Amino acid sequence: MSTPRGETINIILAALGGEGGGVLTNWLIDVADSEGWISQSTSLAGVAQRTGATIYYLEIFPRSALQGDTPPVMSLFPAQGDIDIAIASEIAEAGRMIQRGFVTPERTALIASDHRVYGITEKEHLADGIVDAQVLQTIAARYAKDYIHYDMLALATEYGTVVSSVLLGAVAGAGVLPFSKDSYRSVITATGKAVAANLAAFDASYERARARGVEHFEPIGAAAVEPDVSTLPAATTAQGAQLLERLQVFPESCHPVLYAGLQKLVDYQDYAYAHQYLDTLAPILALDTGLEDHQLTRETGRYLALWMCFEDIPRVAQLKTRPERMGKVRSEVLADDDQLLHVTEFFRPRVEEMASLLPPALGRRVLASPGCRRFLGLFTGGKRLRTNTITVFVMLRTLAGMRRWRRSMLGFQHEHALIARWLRAVSSAGDTGDAQLALEVAECGRLVKGYGDTRARTTSQLGAILERLEADSGQVSHATLRRWREAALDDDEGKAFVSELAT
Amino acid sequence: MAERSFAEEVLKLRAGDGDTFKGEGILAITKALLQSGVSYVGGYQGSPISHLMDVLNDAREILGELGVHFEASGSEATAAAMLSASVNYPLRGAVTWKSTVGTNVASDALSNLASSGVTGGAMVIVGEDYGEGSSIMQERTYAFAMKAQMWLLDPRPNLPSIVDMVEKGFGLSEASNTPIFYMMRIRGCHVTGEFTARDNIAPQYSDRNPVQPRREPEKIILPPHVYAQERQKISERLPAALDYIRQQKLNEFFPGKHEQLGIIVQGGSYNTVIRALQRQGLATAFGVTDIPIYVMNVAYPLVPDELIEFCSSKRQVLVLEEGQPEYIEQGIQTVLRRADLNTRIYGKDIMPMAGEYTGQVTLEGLTRFLETVALPGIELRLSSGEVEALRTPLDEADQQALLENVPPRPSGLCTGCPERPLFSAIKQVQQDIGPFHISSDIGCHSFATLAPFNLGNTIMGYGLSLASSSAIRHSLPHKSISIMGDGGFWHNGLTSGVTSAVFNKHDGILIIVDNGYSAATGGQDIPSLVEPNQIIATTMDTEKSERDDAQSIEDACRGAGVKWLRTVSTYSIDTMKDTLNEALTTTAPGLKVIIAEGECMLNRQRRIKPLMKQAINNGKRTVRARFMVDSDTCTGDHACIRLSGCPSLTIKPNPDPLRKDPVSYVDNSCVGCGVCGTNAHAAILCPSFSRVDLLYNPSWADRMAGRVRGAVIGWLQARTERKQLVVGL
Repeated sequence: MSTPRGETINIILAALGGEGGGVLTNWLIDVADSEGWISQSTSLAGVAQRTGATIYYLEIFPRSALQGDTPPVMSLFPAQGDIDIAIASEIAEAGRMIQRGFVTPERTALIASDHRVYGITEKEHLADGIVDAQVLQTIAARYAKDYIHYDMLALATEYGTVVSSVLLGAVAGAGVLPFSKDSYRSVITATGKAVAANLAAFDASYERARARGVEHFEPIGAAAVEPDVSTLPAATTAQGAQLLERLQVFPESCHPVLYAGLQKLVDYQDYAYAHQYLDTLAPILALDTGLEDHQLTRETGRYLALWMCFEDIPRVAQLKTRPERMGKVRSEVLADDDQLLHVTEFFRPRVEEMASLLPPALGRRVLASPGCRRFLGLFTGGKRLRTNTITVFVMLRTLAGMRRWRRSMLGFQHEHALIARWLRAVSSAGDTGDAQLALEVAECGRLVKGYGDTRARTTSQLGAILERLEADSGQVSHATLRRWREAALDDDEGKAFVSELAT
Repeated sequence: MAERSFAEEVLKLRAGDGDTFKGEGILAITKALLQSGVSYVGGYQGSPISHLMDVLNDAREILGELGVHFEASGSEATAAAMLSASVNYPLRGAVTWKSTVGTNVASDALSNLASSGVTGGAMVIVGEDYGEGSSIMQERTYAFAMKAQMWLLDPRPNLPSIVDMVEKGFGLSEASNTPIFYMMRIRGCHVTGEFTARDNIAPQYSDRNPVQPRREPEKIILPPHVYAQERQKISERLPAALDYIRQQKLNEFFPGKHEQLGIIVQGGSYNTVIRALQRQGLATAFGVTDIPIYVMNVAYPLVPDELIEFCSSKRQVLVLEEGQPEYIEQGIQTVLRRADLNTRIYGKDIMPMAGEYTGQVTLEGLTRFLETVALPGIELRLSSGEVEALRTPLDEADQQALLENVPPRPSGLCTGCPERPLFSAIKQVQQDIGPFHISSDIGCHSFATLAPFNLGNTIMGYGLSLASSSAIRHSLPHKSISIMGDGGFWHNGLTSGVTSAVFNKHDGILIIVDNGYSAATGGQDIPSLVEPNQIIATTMDTEKSERDDAQSIEDACRGAGVKWLRTVSTYSIDTMKDTLNEALTTTAPGLKVIIAEGECMLNRQRRIKPLMKQAINNGKRTVRARFMVDSDTCTGDHACIRLSGCPSLTIKPNPDPLRKDPVSYVDNSCVGCGVCGTNAHAAILCPSFSRVDLLYNPSWADRMAGRVRGAVIGWLQARTERKQLVVGL
């Protein structure tokens, strides 16, 4: 057995901390050893301290090609243009290897898992900072000699094991290394740990790698897929039928969003509230030029529904006492079906949230009175409530039941006043005939979210934008507005926003 | 008890004559030390030689059998001073640390050791932390070797050479009465391979056979002896070293057919050079080369005779020397000029002055050299242009696309790390009172200078944060804030920081992050222990292994004169915020010390996980806590992530088709430390965090309560559900 060029076969592996990159490297060494190949590996553990990426580098050489006793001189550095197999435990790390020049079109087989482990810059973004994995996929396919990829983490999870055994299966199935499948299986068996699960995962991965080319990458979008237009469910109630009837007035491209909106509103309050929603949206449709399949109506509809269902205390209580919630909890924490578990909620309502449940006049008086604030302040400490106890459950149910008086609460009136102001801005932008500006104003609805201080910051930023729009009517271009909106999502101290708004 | 156990591997250290020894470079060095008959070993951990300390620690039994004394030294200075055992007596000894940072710390002792000279072989094994993966500095040990006149070994990075050079290094040290640096590069430390072992040798002197105390006044570093010592370095030790290096052939000549050319390289870079030659078709996989190579396994001192011998027949020679300044190249030029040799030396004129000589850099340099000399008969496989094109096959648009879509992955704190809540608290206090200037230190807590905390302005050295606050403190709008780890505290923070600050009436704040281990270097034990924390959410806990000689940080501070001292569990974010505010506003004079206590979660998990598994298997009632985010109430602002950065706190697609922003999500690696919930309270975030306590082997009472709750809540929910159906669309 000889290598293609009488040289070493070179393998680079990028793994994140705790993903078993070291285990995989040792397995490959053992496989090579059992097939009569000499190995040399190195790693840069130092750079990976804790959560960073670790690079392992492995060279192998057949003993059969030895000339006498002289061992080959193996390099300790992975070098650009000198890599036969590049393995990445995650797609962005595959991108990094291509970036660093370790994937050569004429030579390198790239093996990567499609799943994402988000980086801190993606996670800490104020809205959606997730990079475009589809771009990474396209580039990987273009620059690798052979690109073997599928969601290896999903496969590992399916077999109840770790990603390293799936990666080993992919390496074996890739067929670049001249080793038999049995040799790979033997090293797994030799570990004596979780052998059955690891072997099963290895076999499944081996088959998928061999059948390469049939995998189609489905990028994970930030939002769940909206229901297909053609398959909007039929109404189940007479009231629902009326609403769906009214939905037909709107263009089809808006149906999925508006349907989801109606569903949410009925759940949040009642049918009348859903009718109010459609009433509010009708004038927006009237001034929609139809740009981008009625994007203005669709996006206004989206943020209007979310905003009308703002998360006050009754809403949170409603969501926390849902019958299906326990099932969700169970699946999220991977509990067994009959396993007992306790759920403790971490609440810390502020005086503002409590006052927002009062009738407007009273609520405002309370907020204005230091004495009342102090009194309510007694109840604002951090609360840990066990939702699976009867007392807490009944208490939350009672709070949830307060929604029937929601329309006469201070919080409701406050939010609806701001909603009306936002919609006026959308309308007046639309009235000027500047469809793009109207759309940008509608998009500002995305800013409004969060609780407590976050909510206060996001609504005040929207307020500041609206104020500028109202003051300089006709002066603000959609590009400027877009800059403001993006600046609002730049940092949570509002620094970028303030400086952007000032220029 | 370090993060990685070598208990299994160290058994290989018993290998005897003719056995094949397979393993990592670090382990091979340990074996070579035993084969050389060392009497004592010591050192201070730090990448890339942490594992050497861990191996030695785990090998205590084998060391004991042989009578080898081992110490985990308090600092590199402590370790260097250990070598004084070899000054008067024929005791072989080795110490190890990370260089150049550790060598900086050890310099005082090394200067004096090198002046006195040694009788027994004395070796400093330095993990050279240079280039990619380097966490600290771009400096070289070479400068220290030159200034103190210690010989520097830089062997070829394969296990037989590594082992051979340890044994010969002791010979060189003894033949020239000079202590030695033995340099291991990062990749060399972690290289795997095999060599043929020899029997271990028990040291001549040990607790079984004590030395006869002997005084040699001429070895004490006081006048007039120091003058004699300096003369000795030049007239006796250096010539003896050169003789030994030549006779024992420590440096290697590899002939090649193109005799007018040559390459001079340090041992550590040899493999990279061979690979580059191989890719140009000028060497085989076995190192048979067309271009002659002189390999300096001894990087310092240069051996003039050998250099002259190598260069005299050559017209052009390439010197491959990593790092700057180009000490070796300058040395070679001097040697050749004195010998009136006109060989053209290429070095930093065609190679990069700074940065690591990786495979690509070496190939580029070698190609430039060969194209410049343009020797007929040499056909290069790749031209300079082609080699440069290898840097990336990407076109500009794709490079840009990757730049935008490959997220950076800075190091961060582990899942459940006790330091996370501390930095959350500091960030929240900062949000209240304005930006802080913080003097940071070396350790896991250095990561707080990165996203998402972005706290910290300077890092001056291990244990030096408080000292580095001493001048800026009078120009700050707030009291000075210094953050130091327990490792740094014991390394030198107590003396250079606390003692000095108390003496100078420093009215600032020192936060000592006490996690019970030297965590960043791999979780080695330190003098102080941390109490098991009862307030964190994961309920299973055990007493940490006690030491009757544990040294307390609090007592040490009080002993040094600190009056204002608070110990706070890091997981109590509210208490921590209050304590910080108090320290920032108090009128009490002098240094304010806050000991932020919480056991290193990596070490804690290693301790707890097996116990928990065992408890569950034994049918014992066990509760395991973890956290989750309610995706129905999460609005996707990620304020929680910006206050935490926990690896287990991540994001996932929003299940609500109306929302576009991903929701926060706790993945299954959560260890239930409770910081998410505490932050939700302390920073008034949102009602989305829930703690889930999973019960294993529930008691009769648990099951009974569960049934009753299930029945009542189920009935109430069923009622809602009936109503819900009626109000559906």
